[in-house]
Amino acid sequence: MSGDFRRAESGTEICLIKQNQFPHCFCLENVSFCSKSVFTLRSQELLARLEGRSSLKDMEPFLFADEGSPIHGDILEFHGPEGTGKTEMLYHLTARCILPKSEGGLEVEVLFIDTDYHFDMLRLVTILEHRLSQSTEDIIKHCLGRFFLVNCSSSNQLLITLYSLETMFCSHPSLCLFILDSLSAFYWIDRGNGGESLNLQEVTLKKCSKFMEKLVKEYHLVLFATTQTIMQKSSNSAEKSSSLKFSCEEVDIDYRPYLCKSWQQMVNHRIFFSRHDNSESSNQMFSIVSCHLKSNNIIKRLFSIRENGVHFC
Amino acid sequence: MGVLRMGLCPGLTQEMIQLLRGMGIKTVVDLVSSDLEEVSRKCCLSYKALVSVRRVLLVQFSSFPFNGADLYEELKTSTAILATGIASLDKLLDSGLYTGEVTEITGPPASGKTQVCLCTAANVAYSLGQNVLYIDSTGGLMASRLLQLLQARTEDEEEQAGALQRIHVVRVFDIFQMLDALQDLRGTISQQVTSASGPVKIVVVDSVSAVVSPLLGGQHSEGLALMMQLARELKTLARELGIAVLVTNHVTRERDSGKLRPALGRSWSFVPSTRVFLEAREGPGAPAGCRVASLTKSPRQPTGIQEVIEIGSCGTPEQNSSLEGSKP
Repeated sequence: MSGDFRRAESGTEICLIKQNQFPHCFCLENVSFCSKSVFTLRSQELLARLEGRSSLKDMEPFLFADEGSPIHGDILEFHGPEGTGKTEMLYHLTARCILPKSEGGLEVEVLFIDTDYHFDMLRLVTILEHRLSQSTEDIIKHCLGRFFLVNCSSSNQLLITLYSLETMFCSHPSLCLFILDSLSAFYWIDRGNGGESLNLQEVTLKKCSKFMEKLVKEYHLVLFATTQTIMQKSSNSAEKSSSLKFSCEEVDIDYRPYLCKSWQQMVNHRIFFSRHDNSESSNQMFSIVSCHLKSNNIIKRLFSIRENGVHFC
Repeated sequence: MGVLRMGLCPGLTQEMIQLLRGMGIKTVVDLVSSDLEEVSRKCCLSYKALVSVRRVLLVQFSSFPFNGADLYEELKTSTAILATGIASLDKLLDSGLYTGEVTEITGPPASGKTQVCLCTAANVAYSLGQNVLYIDSTGGLMASRLLQLLQARTEDEEEQAGALQRIHVVRVFDIFQMLDALQDLRGTISQQVTSASGPVKIVVVDSVSAVVSPLLGGQHSEGLALMMQLARELKTLARELGIAVLVTNHVTRERDSGKLRPALGRSWSFVPSTRVFLEAREGPGAPAGCRVASLTKSPRQPTGIQEVIEIGSCGTPEQNSSLEGSKP
């Protein structure tokens, strides 16, 4: 193995190692711009890489229809209209992941890609403060040290950012959770730029989806992406047959897929968020319908949002 | 982000660009997403050179990940809360308008949206001493009304004049003019051209639906694309420059239930972080100028809370009574 590392000192040899020999990437950190990059690898990182990433199995059992979800390589979609708790649920999952093990967390790192400047750091800190038994500044900063935020302003920038994030996944073996909020933020702008051709409209999002699938499978991550319900409910009966309908107890979900086919096909779980009108309690309740697309298991749960985040009923 | 051209990054020569163009690689995205081994074989370009160009382009054009702890430190020092000057509205908004966020006031006609905007502008300019950019697309702004609001706060004419000078008004009548105004603001801030009292801290847009509604509807989705561009501009301005953005929107009726809901559709509903719904209070004994504000969307307060807002001829009742108190 040491022979391979020495070979890797010149720029050309690196990609050959990546493709042929080891499934985990030995990419370089971008330390310098000159073509001969310095290649350093600490032995602990190597061991961590070979052991694999930590399991996120018990992250939030209420969210999933199947037990033992999510597993590595899973892609989940949160779908719902405005104000139904999707971003709150992401804060809940993030807090669960970055809190230390002593406080009930999983102590893993989280990468959050925010495409519409939606992310509210103050809200995340409030949730962390409520969940920690002693919320000092130092502990909060230590937890936040496991959290990474990236802002993207266009679908082209999202694609290029995904390419450059590959090195980050290599160098952070404890980075297991990959969140994208939201995938549909550029939908109308891309549609406007693409003109009449559907292919041109979807091309960048298709490339993003394919690359994200590759990243998730190669680095054993779990991807949560939110998509917004921006289409009207189909009033046309001919269109209704093409949109998916799930009947689960008393809930009828009318889901109109509008993103590209490559994204729709790579999703393993789809979780639908909606408001739940409850006349008894004064709290606003929300409901999720969680569908596992391969095994066709569907469950429904209710939750409310309090100061310390999501609270399942 | 776009077409590959000379000088975009070191190492990208004209000859390389021509060879790549011959292979159909014209933009940055094309180069970054293509298989470099194949490209170097077909174009007879050095593989090492291509890899280094790709690396530089990635660093130049991709967005940089921030660590949560650093971001929190920065936010603690840069986030400010701007009071609107209307005490009950401030209570509803958890002490005021937060910088870095877009707040929306929506309501039927004559529900007081413009009055809230004018009160906020006067308060920020006078009590907080900060610059205000007021983008008026309805023609509802009258300098005399601003003066009246300022006169309720201070008797000193020089202070009134100073506060009026801090309110910059731009009149726009279509979305392109509005985008221009926002771009100009960005330009002045980036060149660090500041007036005596500092940079703009709040942008008031009254109203956003007046310029966007004419574009919506119909078969084509260009109107929606333009609306989302405007949304993106407003949010980027708020977040990157630490400005509070206040917009107003009108209401439409839902097709099935007949309930009132904010206009501009579902895609716009994701844009503001806070939404307040204003309506006139009905019933006997309700004083004129009395409105009820309900919080319909908020990142930190429970929704559904309501407050009563009264804006009389001299601003809010507290200011009115303080003015009367000071008179002999």
